[in-house]
Amino acid sequence: MEIIFIITTLIITALLNILIKRRFVIEFFSIIASSVALFESIVVALKVSTAGVYSPFVFFSVDSLGAIVMLIVACVGFITTIYSVPYLRQETAKGIIGFTRVKQYFALLNIFLAAMFLAITANSLVFAWISIEATTLSTAFLISFYDKPSAIEAAWKYLIINSIGLLLGFFGTLLYFTSMSSLGENGFVSWQSLLANTIHLDPLIAKIAFIFVLIGYGTKVGLVPMHTWKPDAYSKAPNPIGALLSGALLPVAFIVILRFKIITDMVVGSQFSQNLLIIFGILSIAVAALIMFNARNYKRLLAYSSIENAGVMALGFGFGGLAIFAATMHLIYHSLVKGVMFFSSGNLLLKYNSDKINNIKGALGVVPFTSILFIAGFLVVTGIPPFGIFQTKMQILSAGIQLHPVTTIITLFFMTLVFIGFLKHIVSMFFSQKPENIPVGEGNIWLIIPPLTLLVIIIILSFYTPPFLYRLINDAVAHY
Amino acid sequence: MNILNLQFLLEIVFGTIIFLHITKKNFGAALSYGLQSLAITIVIFSSFFETGSMPLLFIAIITFIVKVIIAPVFFIKLIQKHELTFSVSTYLNMPLTLIIIAILTFVAHSQKFVPLTGIVPANQALLSLAIASIFLSIFLVINRKGALSQIIGILSLENSIVAFTIFASLEQSPMLQLGIIFNIFIWLVIASVFISMIYKHFGSLDITTMNNLKD
Repeated sequence: MEIIFIITTLIITALLNILIKRRFVIEFFSIIASSVALFESIVVALKVSTAGVYSPFVFFSVDSLGAIVMLIVACVGFITTIYSVPYLRQETAKGIIGFTRVKQYFALLNIFLAAMFLAITANSLVFAWISIEATTLSTAFLISFYDKPSAIEAAWKYLIINSIGLLLGFFGTLLYFTSMSSLGENGFVSWQSLLANTIHLDPLIAKIAFIFVLIGYGTKVGLVPMHTWKPDAYSKAPNPIGALLSGALLPVAFIVILRFKIITDMVVGSQFSQNLLIIFGILSIAVAALIMFNARNYKRLLAYSSIENAGVMALGFGFGGLAIFAATMHLIYHSLVKGVMFFSSGNLLLKYNSDKINNIKGALGVVPFTSILFIAGFLVVTGIPPFGIFQTKMQILSAGIQLHPVTTIITLFFMTLVFIGFLKHIVSMFFSQKPENIPVGEGNIWLIIPPLTLLVIIIILSFYTPPFLYRLINDAVAHY
Repeated sequence: MNILNLQFLLEIVFGTIIFLHITKKNFGAALSYGLQSLAITIVIFSSFFETGSMPLLFIAIITFIVKVIIAPVFFIKLIQKHELTFSVSTYLNMPLTLIIIAILTFVAHSQKFVPLTGIVPANQALLSLAIASIFLSIFLVINRKGALSQIIGILSLENSIVAFTIFASLEQSPMLQLGIIFNIFIWLVIASVFISMIYKHFGSLDITTMNNLKD
């Protein structure tokens, strides 16, 4: 019931946003809808943590990892909606967007959230695919939101690359159905029924299918070499949407890959999928590290950071064992910290009117709170102690050093390179001489509270994991 | 429907993709996609005649409306609106394009893909042709510089996957098939909106004119 309530609320709000002509009402309804989604997601997560898989209807099913990702989407979605209100008001005040764009933004934001909730909770493989495809369609217009040639180009690239990727993912999905067709069970295929029939799946087909699925959904995750849309889309989309693309959409697509991984592992053993995840993981970390070093745009820098972290997660699930626990925690931390960084970079954009690293000088003196948030985000995301990502990276590397020492050392080298590259940009942006023509001061307290809230959650989770979340993570580790 | 007729329909799908590679006119490409979709629709109709399943008839009718009527009409209106008579050229020249088409078709029929083409041994030749169609559709999207051609390439890829699904007996429930068609329809509408936006901003559908994204 909770799942239907979340999705219905978000879709109705999206429709109302198109009809309503008062800005305040649109903003109010959107915040209410996202808070309903957050509340109901917590309810679902509590149910899953105590009673296991939650499946109120045949069409919906939430397992432990699904509940974790649902919480992430709900939390990042709620805070993004709150941040979007002052952010878009400032953009309107500057004459960048008009009221029609605001309506369009909140309608698409709610559809995007609804599509992600559907993708996580869908019990059918094809329904999950349709939902992920729906996220592409809703976000394409959010990426082209500012209607500039570069934004249109980024959105087109996103649409084409993701559509091809998802069609390949769809092809892979259909190949898994061969285990069902041999039983004469065409029709509605759920994750559970597919798991129950893995014995009928040909190992060679399972391998080919997983490759297609990994390439297909890996495009959405942004794993190298399918990542090319990501820096463009992240840099052209409004900053709050960047937070959602990185913090919510990435784990949603990742969980679909992991669900197929379980099925494939049951047929061919875990070595095959783990090796593939390790290859894509190390490639993603290496390419992102090399490009981040010479990045010239801080939004693109965050996009490459997302690619690097997707690589870390892939590596964690690839290494297996203790690293799976760390990768799951990493998924949570990364989603939250990307919110902090995209929101604080949004504040920088509003203040400096530029997303070029070279144009941001002396930010610590100009917008001190925003700067502290961005720097804290940098420390978290690069894995500086005592923050949680330090622990997760260390756990992943220590799990990897036993079985894959060379890969682990290479990873450690590129992680260090990421830190150095990122630090170089941080020093240039925040600790340089403040320009005379930029007025000192933060724009609005509500541009600070959302990223600050996320940072506080990260700090708490770095030292304390609530029992229900701990149970969910442990259960996810046991299954994945 | 006997295997020869099914093979003929799949050859139409394959042939239209070859035509999409070599045609210089957008109007011909739009009609070619319509013909390709018609072949797919007839295959679904034939499944209906064999099984008598009413949902399958419904799917066939919806497929016909969306893919054979609405999509080509959308494209033709776009072509007329923006006077896009000639399609944008390809990255590779025509002889090289044809050589790659031949190689991809050969690869799809090679032993490497036996695990996929052997899903239904009786349909091995048909499944090989469907895989070749998938490869050629992806190559079409990569090789064409025109945004409209890329859209048709992606829709063609979807048609090729549908053909593979049918011949590999991997059909989904009618409700989910409807979901997929609805999804394709929405995708088509959005892609068409983007075509107009691209034309408005760049004055052409040549994607090589899009070079605003730099670090």
